[in-house]
Amino acid sequence: MLWAAGETLKLTGVSFLLAVFVGSLLAIIRTSGSSFFRSTALVFIEVGRGTPALVILFMIYFGLPAVSPNLQFSSFAAAVIGLGLQGGTILAETFRAGIEAIDVGQREASLSLGLTPTQTMADVIAPQAIRIVLPPTGNYIIGLLKDTAIASIIAAPELMLRAKDLASSSFMPMHLYVLAGLIYFAMSYPLSLLVRRMEVALSKGRA
Amino acid sequence: MTNFFETLFRVLPSFLPFLLEGAKVAVQIAFGALIIAIVLGLFLAIMLVMRIKVVRFLARSYVEIMRGTPALLQLFIIYFGLSDIGLSLSPMAAAIIGLGANGSAYLAEVFRAGIGAIDKGQKEAAASLGLPPIEVMRFIILPQAIRIMLPPLVNYAVQLLKDTTLASSVAAPEMMFRARNLVMETYLSMQIYLLVACIYLTICIPLSRLASRLHKPNRGAAH
Repeated sequence: MLWAAGETLKLTGVSFLLAVFVGSLLAIIRTSGSSFFRSTALVFIEVGRGTPALVILFMIYFGLPAVSPNLQFSSFAAAVIGLGLQGGTILAETFRAGIEAIDVGQREASLSLGLTPTQTMADVIAPQAIRIVLPPTGNYIIGLLKDTAIASIIAAPELMLRAKDLASSSFMPMHLYVLAGLIYFAMSYPLSLLVRRMEVALSKGRA
Repeated sequence: MTNFFETLFRVLPSFLPFLLEGAKVAVQIAFGALIIAIVLGLFLAIMLVMRIKVVRFLARSYVEIMRGTPALLQLFIIYFGLSDIGLSLSPMAAAIIGLGANGSAYLAEVFRAGIGAIDKGQKEAAASLGLPPIEVMRFIILPQAIRIMLPPLVNYAVQLLKDTTLASSVAAPEMMFRARNLVMETYLSMQIYLLVACIYLTICIPLSRLASRLHKPNRGAAH
C-alpha cells in the first residue's frame, strides 16, 4: 500500500503543477485588458468550478475515446488532466484575487517607468501576489491530495484503488480502509500544519 | 462528428427524466447531509471552545481526522466497513451519514471562526449593560455571527451537491450512478456525461451566484 501512497503523491504533484499553470494563465487573462478573452476565461472557470470532479474525470477517461480513438488517455493521465484543469479553474480565482490585491498604483508606476506589461507582471506584481496566494494554494494542495481518491473510480493507480483491491479479496476490509485512512492522514496532516505555520508567518511579516 | 450530435439530440429526451430523477436523489442526499453537518458542526464548534481540555481534544481530533482523510474513503468505511461489524446501511443512508460527518468537521471550523470573529468587547459591553448571557448570545452575538457564517455555509452546500457524485461508488441511485448504468447499456459515454455536466451546471452556477450575492450586501450594510 505504501507504493500506492507514492503514486498518490505523484498524482497530486503532477496535477498540482498543471493546476498552477492553468490557474496562472486564466488569472492573467482575467486581469488583462481584452474583455473578450476575460469573458471566455470566465466561462471556462465557471464550467470548471460548477461541474463535479468525478464527472470531469469520466468525460476525459470514458467520454473522449468514444469521440475519437486517438483520445484514449491512461487513467493516470486522465486523472491528471481532469484534476489539473479543474484545479486550474479553482486556483484562477485565488490568483486573480492575489493579483488584484496588489495596489493598482504599482502597475501604473511600472508602466510609466517604461516597463513592458510582461515585465510588470513578472518582476513587480507576481512576486508580491505570490505571498498572498501561498496559504490558499497550500490549502488547495491538501484538498487535491484527498481528491486523488476520486481517481480510484476510474482505476487510476493510487492509494484508494489499492485499498479497494486489497479489501475485496480480504476478510477484514475495515482494517484495510482504516489503514489507508491513516496513510492519507499521515500525508495530509503535516501539510496542513505547514500551511497553518505559513499563514502565521506571512501575516506577521506584513504589518 | 455529425453522428455524435445526431445521437445526442435523438436520445436526449429519453434520458433526461431518468437522469433528473437522479438529480432529485442527489439533492435529497445533499439536504440530509447538510442537516447533519450543520447540527453536528455546531456541537463540535461549541466543544472546540470549551474550557475542558478533554472535550476540546476529542473535538479537535475528530475535526483533524475527518478533514485529513478523503470523503470517499469515509464513505467506504461507513458503507462497507461497518457491515463487517454487523451494521448494514442502505447506500443512501451511508452517503448521507458519510457526507454529513465529513461536512460537520469542515463546518465546525467555519462556525468556530464565525463566533470568534465577534469582537470580545461586544460581549463585555452587553454583559456590563446587564444583559443575561443567553440574551447576549441571542440578540448580539448570533445575528452577527450568522451573517459572517452564511457565505461559507452556502458555498459548502453547493460543493456538497457536487460531492454527492461520490455516492455513486456505493451504488446510491443519484445522477452519476444512473449515468454510468446508462453508458454501460448504450455506450454513448460522451453524450451522457456531457448531459450530466450540463445538469449540474444549471443547478450549481445559479446557486454560486446566490452565494456571492450574499457576500456583497454585507459590505454595503457597513455604511
